[in-house]
Amino acid sequence: MSKAAAPANPPPPMPTSREDINGTWRFLEWGVEQIMSHLDSGVDLRTYMSLYTSIHNFCTAQKAVGQTNLTSNHRGAHLLGEELYHRLNEYLKRHLQGVHAEMVKHSDEALLTYYIQQWKRYTTAGSYNNHLFRYLNRHWVKREMDEGKKDVFDIYTLHLVRWKEDMFGSTQNAVMDAVLRLVEKQRNGETIEQSKVKEVVLSFVALGIDEADSTKTNLEVYRQYFERPYIEATQQYYKNESSTFLAENSVVDYMKKAERRLDEEKERVPLFLLAEIMQPLMKCCEAALIADHAVLMRDEFQILLDNDREEDMARMYKLLARIPEGLDPLRNRFENHVRRAGLLSVEKVADQGESLDPKAFVDALLEVHTQYATLVQSAFTGESEFVRSLDNACREYINRNKVCAKNSARSPQMLAKHADNVLKRSTKATEEDDMEKMLNQVMTVFKYLEDKDVFQKFYSQTLAKRLVHGTSASPDAETSMISKLKDASGFEYTNKLQRMFQDIQTSKDLNSAYDDWLGQVLDKEDKKGGIDANYQILGTGFWPLQPPTTTFTPPPSIVKTYERFQNFYTQKHGGRKLTWLWHLCKGEIRANYAKLNKVPYTFQVSTYQMAILLMFNDSDNVSYDDMLAITGLQKETLDPSLGIMLKAKVITASPEGATPQSGTSYNLNYGFRNKKLKVNLNMAIKSEQKQEVEDTQKTIEEDRKMLMQSAIVRIMKSRKTMKHQLLVGETVTQVKSRFSPKIPDIKKCIDILIEKEYLERLDNDELGYLA
Amino acid sequence: MSEGEQQVKLVSSDNVEILTERKIAERSMLIKNMIEDLGAPGEEAIPIMNVSEAVLRKVLEWCAHHKNDPTPTQDDDADSRKKTTDIEDWDQKFMQVDQEMLFEIILAANYMDIKALLDVGCKTVANMIKSKSPEEIRKTFNIQNDFTPEEEEQIRRENEWAEDR
Repeated sequence: MSKAAAPANPPPPMPTSREDINGTWRFLEWGVEQIMSHLDSGVDLRTYMSLYTSIHNFCTAQKAVGQTNLTSNHRGAHLLGEELYHRLNEYLKRHLQGVHAEMVKHSDEALLTYYIQQWKRYTTAGSYNNHLFRYLNRHWVKREMDEGKKDVFDIYTLHLVRWKEDMFGSTQNAVMDAVLRLVEKQRNGETIEQSKVKEVVLSFVALGIDEADSTKTNLEVYRQYFERPYIEATQQYYKNESSTFLAENSVVDYMKKAERRLDEEKERVPLFLLAEIMQPLMKCCEAALIADHAVLMRDEFQILLDNDREEDMARMYKLLARIPEGLDPLRNRFENHVRRAGLLSVEKVADQGESLDPKAFVDALLEVHTQYATLVQSAFTGESEFVRSLDNACREYINRNKVCAKNSARSPQMLAKHADNVLKRSTKATEEDDMEKMLNQVMTVFKYLEDKDVFQKFYSQTLAKRLVHGTSASPDAETSMISKLKDASGFEYTNKLQRMFQDIQTSKDLNSAYDDWLGQVLDKEDKKGGIDANYQILGTGFWPLQPPTTTFTPPPSIVKTYERFQNFYTQKHGGRKLTWLWHLCKGEIRANYAKLNKVPYTFQVSTYQMAILLMFNDSDNVSYDDMLAITGLQKETLDPSLGIMLKAKVITASPEGATPQSGTSYNLNYGFRNKKLKVNLNMAIKSEQKQEVEDTQKTIEEDRKMLMQSAIVRIMKSRKTMKHQLLVGETVTQVKSRFSPKIPDIKKCIDILIEKEYLERLDNDELGYLA
Repeated sequence: MSEGEQQVKLVSSDNVEILTERKIAERSMLIKNMIEDLGAPGEEAIPIMNVSEAVLRKVLEWCAHHKNDPTPTQDDDADSRKKTTDIEDWDQKFMQVDQEMLFEIILAANYMDIKALLDVGCKTVANMIKSKSPEEIRKTFNIQNDFTPEEEEQIRRENEWAEDR
């Protein structure tokens, strides 16, 4: 029978004898050849059924029954068909030899076309044959496979096995080369027939016959012969391309290209590859396109930062995020950059020295933070590690910058001052929203402060002043700020602030209760001669206020008034001691002797000034010595109080220009003139302010010592004994939220506690707790 | 008209044409695969070369009754149906035919690749054998005993394990 049999080749007769293997095979071979080589001209029903039937008839030939014998290896009846199977196998080998001989004449795309065409023809025929030989599959093949024969396959798989062994092994290299060249063309921008690659992929997959179970397929063949070379070629391609590109183009342009290339490769997968390739493919692309050039990209990062190239930074972030540990160096650079920017921003305003505007300072801090917080969100997707880098940088430049280089308390102090300015009543009304916004800005900086205790000190001082002098812009804003601080640093941190606020509320109630009481107790005469007064009761220990530094004899005209209140209060709250903070008190005096347009002037004065001025009710001339004696004030307080009134020309010195000392006397100025009716003489005294700051510094030091000591005692109480070094470390962690302690200070505190016999030294550098 | 309702023409070995629904005919894997490979045959008759008209009609009767059964997959034929000899009522009645017809149906089912029918046929035969002595079985199927007494003794010994007592 010739291989070149024409479709018209007349069929041999259908075998008449069921047992005749030669006759049967002659007929079958003709049929299989028709299907293999001339399927396009069709197979008619009768031929199809005849082929099936002759296989059936051969396998059910009577001699099968006769051959049953006891020595057979098979369980049960002997099944016929082995001969047909082997003859088909031989036929396929011969057939593929012919195809192979033709295949090697082709190369490149023509080879692909031929390979795919032959593969399709061959596998279609295979599935026909599988149906025609179904009787063989159902019986003889099934039996052989059940018996564990590894070299017998169902008829379709037999076709695949033959292709794999007689065709694939010797052609896959050339086929794969052609595929890779085709893909390379596409990468270079040419249009290709993607379906060809897809067909090859599918044929490679089909050939992955599972050795353990030939009815199943696995991806072994595909992985080894397609995936591996594909990935190697991809890596090589991008290796070449990226180094060529970078030699002639900027890093910024390269990143755009790399991003595009990565997208393209990803898009290519669903077009003609298996989804399984995605992960290794992306890994190889990332290695060639990103990891190999990571150093170069990172070097570019500084330039991008300096020029605010947000979009390019976002691109760089996305690229480097794809490779392991790609972003760490970026974060370090980012952190350094933000720190430098912060320091620079502070330096610009630092030149103003002592007169530095707190707002300018805080704005300088915020500006950098805001700029880079926005960048973290927009370019680095708000990634938590970048947020951490930002936080580190901000903490550094907020706590250690030029302004606080000499005095580390400057940063928290300036922030507290700024908060005071925000919360103080001012000429321009602040919108509620703006207020909230500004308070939040304060909190933003507060979050980074290391010496939160310093802020607390200054804040409570300014709060006290706002409350005592009634200069707070809005109680709501005050409450809001206190609750923000509480959220950030806990109840203990704001406890005193809260109490101060409460005291003012309680005092308001107390005053109205007092007024009611007065209304009942006083007769008309008393009321007429009385003085309108307002009292604030401030709890000792909650307020950062000191008793007056000077002695003082209050003027007789107010004695009755305040004693009456004192009586009222002690009646109400027995056992409480009231201390009058005269230096914080103030009042208004009407000058009936001097008028502007027939209206007398009103002087706003401190209690001390009030005592001085009231002396002029008795005489127009008062000597300095009398003033000292009658007011009971000390020189340090009396002199500046006088000074302001002299400057305002309420009184004049005699002799003119004399310094306040024994022998000098003062006259009331009847010719007093001022543009305003209300004249404020109650101005803070410079030396007092400075004193205050120094005092605050001192109390901070004291408080810190107490905080460290109580932390140490707390730790030792629970541990009983502990190594010196461990104790120091533990103490640092406990007080860190308030301020960053210095190790020598902690050691000093330990020594103090040993002296006070709270602790004792044991052997091995251990410390013990003494109950 | 859906594919299943198409008519197909079958030709028996004794050249009688039988018209049936494609869906019924496709209970036979042979016919189903053939249609899959060659397409719907239309007017052309499909030669069922090894089955006579009487048997083919009987087989198609079974196929018509079972035309809506789910096609069993290759895997699940192994256990349940094989191991029991239970036959549903309709099939039992269907199999109440003379012995010659019974064997013809089994051969046709095997040839036409109708697994479920083949199983029913074989089960029917198995039930005929069940609980019968060799002599009774020979009588049932009209088999001549061609064993020598020695051979018979040897076979009995080899199969002693299977005896039911």
